[in-house]
Amino acid sequence: MTNSTLLPATDTRLAVADGLLNLLRTTTTEPRPDEQLEALTLAVAADLPVLLWGEPGIGKTAALTQLAASLDLPLTTVIASVHEPSDFSGLPIVGEDPATQGVPMAPPQWAVELVRAGRGLLFLDELSTATPAVQAALLRVVLERRVGALRLPPGVRIVAAANPRASAADGWELSPPLANRFVHLYWVHDQEVVVRGLGGVWPRAVLPRLDPALLPEAVAFSRRVVCGFLTARPTLIHRLPSTETRRGGAWPSPRSWDAALTLLAFGTAASVSREVLALLVRGAVGDGPGLELLAHLDRMDLPDPETLLADPAAAELPERGDLRQAALEAVVAAVGARPERERWEAGWAVLVRALETGTADLLVAPATALAAVRRDDWEVPATMDRLAGVVGLARQADRSVERVAAAAAAAERAAAGTRR
Amino acid sequence: MEKLLAARLHAVKVRPYLAGALFALHVVEDRSVPTMAVDAHWRCYVSPGFVARTPMEELAGVWVHEVSHLLRDHHGRGERYARQHEEFGPGERSGTGVPPAEGWGRLRRNIAADFEINDDIYGDGLPRPAGAVLPSLLRLPDGLLMEEYLRTASMSGLAADLAWLDCGSGADGQDRPWELGPDGAHGLSRHQQDAVRFRVAEGIKGRPGEAPEGWRRWADEAFQAPQPWRQLLGAAVRSAAGAPGAGENHSYRRPSRRSASVPKVVLPSLRRTPPGVCVVIDTSGSVSDAELGSALLEVAAISRAVGGRRDLVSVISCDAAAGVAVPLCRAENIELVGGGGTDLRSGFARALRSRPRPDVIVALTDGQTPWPSAPPPCRTVVGLFPRPARAADEEDPDYVPDTPPSWARVVTIG
Repeated sequence: MTNSTLLPATDTRLAVADGLLNLLRTTTTEPRPDEQLEALTLAVAADLPVLLWGEPGIGKTAALTQLAASLDLPLTTVIASVHEPSDFSGLPIVGEDPATQGVPMAPPQWAVELVRAGRGLLFLDELSTATPAVQAALLRVVLERRVGALRLPPGVRIVAAANPRASAADGWELSPPLANRFVHLYWVHDQEVVVRGLGGVWPRAVLPRLDPALLPEAVAFSRRVVCGFLTARPTLIHRLPSTETRRGGAWPSPRSWDAALTLLAFGTAASVSREVLALLVRGAVGDGPGLELLAHLDRMDLPDPETLLADPAAAELPERGDLRQAALEAVVAAVGARPERERWEAGWAVLVRALETGTADLLVAPATALAAVRRDDWEVPATMDRLAGVVGLARQADRSVERVAAAAAAAERAAAGTRR
Repeated sequence: MEKLLAARLHAVKVRPYLAGALFALHVVEDRSVPTMAVDAHWRCYVSPGFVARTPMEELAGVWVHEVSHLLRDHHGRGERYARQHEEFGPGERSGTGVPPAEGWGRLRRNIAADFEINDDIYGDGLPRPAGAVLPSLLRLPDGLLMEEYLRTASMSGLAADLAWLDCGSGADGQDRPWELGPDGAHGLSRHQQDAVRFRVAEGIKGRPGEAPEGWRRWADEAFQAPQPWRQLLGAAVRSAAGAPGAGENHSYRRPSRRSASVPKVVLPSLRRTPPGVCVVIDTSGSVSDAELGSALLEVAAISRAVGGRRDLVSVISCDAAAGVAVPLCRAENIELVGGGGTDLRSGFARALRSRPRPDVIVALTDGQTPWPSAPPPCRTVVGLFPRPARAADEEDPDYVPDTPPSWARVVTIG
């Protein structure tokens, strides 16, 4: 056998293999809402540096590829761990006469190409496995957008990825000042998505679009939310992470509140769901303050007590029990703040309306509070009769609590008797 | 229905801190439910017959029980446990390989979740129902987590008696035929669930006197998953050892070998400076040998992982006076001498006197010691064995030990 007879045979074998590979790579996509990707898109659109935390191999890079395609930005991936610090801070080149000309810091090729293109998505992968010196150089790229003597144009957006501490090969972690500059998104895989994807159908996320008509309103809204919240909770404006478990994550500071405000405005302009807003806000200021801000948002959704009092018959109360009770308590508080007979009667009418549209046990606390607002010369309104069932329910519950207390006391007496 | 609502009022009255969560549940009447069950979307399915035959005060206990499943995220945790431990044993997998709804693994998870809940929610206004499943049935200790009960006990002895037990997918993460699923009405989204949980946790933390120990612990950990101390200690030691001056890093002390191919360019090279780690061990009587042994092994493993050679890791045992620094050759050979009172200051002084000077000092202690007044000139990690807050000295009950200083990174061990 000679070489000439071998070659065609290898060729056809490889061709068959290529055919198999082609078949394997032929996959389709289906639309599927993806909250993580929506959150990532908004944060990237808002030009805030994003840090994706995720175990190796769960599709962070795939998500970035899809994001770049949908935002129509060229993707530049730089794997931090295979570079040297000078690749990011610039290579010092000694010229003819350093004393007069200085030593220029030459940027690497990828940076030059990014600047030439004027726009792009820079993905800094494997941040956590690079040496500390490389990370220090990289953070300058992220924060000051400078690579050597070059400045990255505004059209370039930056996303970094890191492995969580538990699975990181070495123990690099973000210091609090650095963590504060990122929006932290935790990337997890969805079992269903992976199984369907390996079966040949990958998800195609519908990415949020900013509605130009909503822009001024979105800015006003998010300013109102954040300022109102921080006025009520001034201690949350700045709180350094104190415990070891909180290190390296998001924490609240004026800088990260500013990021949260921006993200809230972007989310509102894109009309994304509360889930996505929650991911973004918690990623910017941390879990606790983020959740409190969202609770504040929920409370802002509650109907205005004055509107309810003005027209009790048409009152629209929230469906969810805890929110409904909060709305009723706000009504009672509003009556108590300016106690007038008409308002007090309107308050009872709101409670009757609540009884007609929902469960009775929610009314016990507000009804007791409203009854306490009564002045001596106010007569009991006729609508009160309709709330008799609520009083009965409260009595039943009280009797049940008393029965338990009595049984416990009896058991204690019996135990004391045997001891004696 | 009225009885059920009155029972909810009873529950709110005796457990005011759970009110928000109890009211957030949406009640669905369904005759196919065995008793009462919750799903992962915070709906509560109730059998009318069960309500009719159960006394009101017991129903109140059931309300609290079901809402506890949801607050403690048993559906998410049950699902994760099932996936990680391949909880699809022979009893669970049917012929086609699809796990049937009523499986052995599901029941096990439900029982373990009930163990976690039932040991501390009853009493104090809530009578314990006759059929409540308690860890003592299997002679297990109270106060463990669902995952711990699952790991330690087989529960096969209980299965036959408790086959009726069914708290819904909210308790174990497996869907039931009667459930409305994620698209049904009145469900809570994940963010809404988090918000309710958060408010309940804040309520408990705000008035810690009212809630029992179990709930207070839950509130502390609900949004801050406790990280295993091994990982925290590892990260702390590694980041201390990887700091400038030690560990593997780029350095301009010597030109890189890449420089030869790019004339005129000055490149740093990758240098490795193995960090010296000195472990100061509190050998006073208050720290147990088992605690010390496990922590010390951990430190030795971590320092090897960061590239420390064995001869660069030394150990100083320290009670009121410091012993000599012993190089760590084999972890099991270390002789820990001591007992009695503690003064870690002498341990720190001894560590800093040793040559070469360590890059990192790791102190393993229970914290009942005075600390150096100034930060030592190297990075410091404190592994702290937690001790209940109490007056440590009987002769001087006002004595309160100092907390570890702010310049050290503190990892709570155990």
